[in-house]
Amino acid sequence: MPRERIRFAQVRRHWSLYALMVPTLVLVAMFMYLPAISGVYHSFYRWDGDELATYVGMRNYRQAFGDPELGWAFVRVGILFGASLFKMVPSIVTAVVIHRITRDRLRYFYRLLFVVPMVIPWMVGLLIWKFFYNPVVGLLNRFLSTTGILDILAAMNTWAVKANVVESVIFQVGRNPAWLGDSDLALAAYIFWGFPWIGVIGVLIYLSGLEKIPHSVYECADLDGVGWFGKFLYIELPLIATQVRINLVLLIIGVLKGYGLVLVLLGETGGPGGAVMVPGLYMYYNAFVKREAGYACAIGILVFFVILALTYVNNKLVRVER
Amino acid sequence: MSRVSEGPIARLLKHGYLWLMLALVYLPFYVMLIISFKDNKQFYNHPWVPTFPLHWENWAEAWDTVGVFIANSVFLAVTATLVTLLVAVPAAYVFGRYRVPFGGIFWAGLIILMLMPGVANLIPLFNLMRRLSLLNSLMGLAVVTAAGGQVFCLFVLRNFVEDMPKEFFECARIDGASHLQQVIHVVIPQCGGIISALAIMNFVGAWNSFILPLIVIRDPEKLPLAVGLFRLQGAYVKQWGPLMAAYFISAIPLVILFAFTMRLFIRGISEGAIKG
Repeated sequence: MPRERIRFAQVRRHWSLYALMVPTLVLVAMFMYLPAISGVYHSFYRWDGDELATYVGMRNYRQAFGDPELGWAFVRVGILFGASLFKMVPSIVTAVVIHRITRDRLRYFYRLLFVVPMVIPWMVGLLIWKFFYNPVVGLLNRFLSTTGILDILAAMNTWAVKANVVESVIFQVGRNPAWLGDSDLALAAYIFWGFPWIGVIGVLIYLSGLEKIPHSVYECADLDGVGWFGKFLYIELPLIATQVRINLVLLIIGVLKGYGLVLVLLGETGGPGGAVMVPGLYMYYNAFVKREAGYACAIGILVFFVILALTYVNNKLVRVER
Repeated sequence: MSRVSEGPIARLLKHGYLWLMLALVYLPFYVMLIISFKDNKQFYNHPWVPTFPLHWENWAEAWDTVGVFIANSVFLAVTATLVTLLVAVPAAYVFGRYRVPFGGIFWAGLIILMLMPGVANLIPLFNLMRRLSLLNSLMGLAVVTAAGGQVFCLFVLRNFVEDMPKEFFECARIDGASHLQQVIHVVIPQCGGIISALAIMNFVGAWNSFILPLIVIRDPEKLPLAVGLFRLQGAYVKQWGPLMAAYFISAIPLVILFAFTMRLFIRGISEGAIKG
């Protein structure tokens, strides 16, 4: 539907159109643009986050580029991003399996069952996992020691140390591993968080993509003798490719921006020895703990540019042909 | 309708996979529920299975602590959602239906915010809110949340308004409806489904918001749920029963919300995905 054009001369008659836009524009200008501009401005200042600000030119940026901790934070994001790619698989598989359930009512029932856990508040989900990971009373250690897996891990660890594969002793017989309190384990525990990593919204979006596959396509595939994996590869995956790509972009941005998770699980220093310090959290830490708000703003701007660049690359590289 | 012809083994595998996943997804529910009825001794001795006597008083204790947080979060989420949609729907009407002078620039200015990470402007936003004396105020938090929700809502709604048949608007205009009346009598009824879906998404988003409330709200009696629970687990680590009961209780408002709107929500996401 082509939109109706209003010319300059008609603006007086249609002034109310602007009146309808103004609330949005004011809100956005005030609470999104103004802080953003102020952030850019203050990134050139040494600032305590309050009244005191002295102009320092590019010093914050030079400091950022020479800051090994920030560099490691970005490397960690790379690792986390690789892990997230892997963590997308269960959602895709679940969507495809639900889609292949033949009876309509059963399919609806499964879909409903997977949506219901959305009622758990995000924070509760996090704190439950924090509780699972608790070294003394946590259920993960309870489970591992009851089933004897902990002993196997300890034996493997001892063997690996002997064979000079690893240096550190992480698992010992008779000692509970502190999943979130051990600098060797924190990153792995953080990645494992939320197992089996089924994102409700992701599953729903994939399912809606899959629903569009006409029945005849499957019949043709059956005639050609295409197996179940072939059907996934040639029929289902291409159809949800767009949705996968959208999720991918959201994932990149989420991994780069998201530090609430780390903050809750591991605290504002990013865990023992900063094992899971990510750029967003490093910014938060500089702003609210070290009170170097100017430097924090500069980090925020750098993260923004990294996201911008990655989104651009993603749009160029991962073009999906229809 | 049969999608894939298959043998019994394949069927068994499919259902087996789904039930395994569901068991893992529902494990936290189970854990919360059974621990919420235990005292600490029962919990240390038998963490996995229900034990008797059931400690119902855990739930009463939990309610006394989280009741306030829940009330705050309901207020925050309802206000934020209402403000978001009240502001976004009329604007979506304009952007979806007209090309006004400067409209293109405004639109570009909005869409570019999709890329902007919340991190870069967090500290200045905190300062701005302090200057406006919005710190420690749930109302202020709701308005800022609404500002953050604008871009996504506009992006989705605009597409829906654009796809509406022009005749609806023409008829209304011939009857002498102003722009605002067209929003109220044409856009809102016709886009009801997607507006409700957006409302739910915004509600859940505000319900779960953490970082901004964490730095903005100071008074313990004003804390929204996420921050309140976060503080709680730091404070009373000793009593697992009441803590788990508190976690469980804090899921109830969303249970109520989804009980009435589940269909809308699923449809909204599916439709939104097809359009996007």
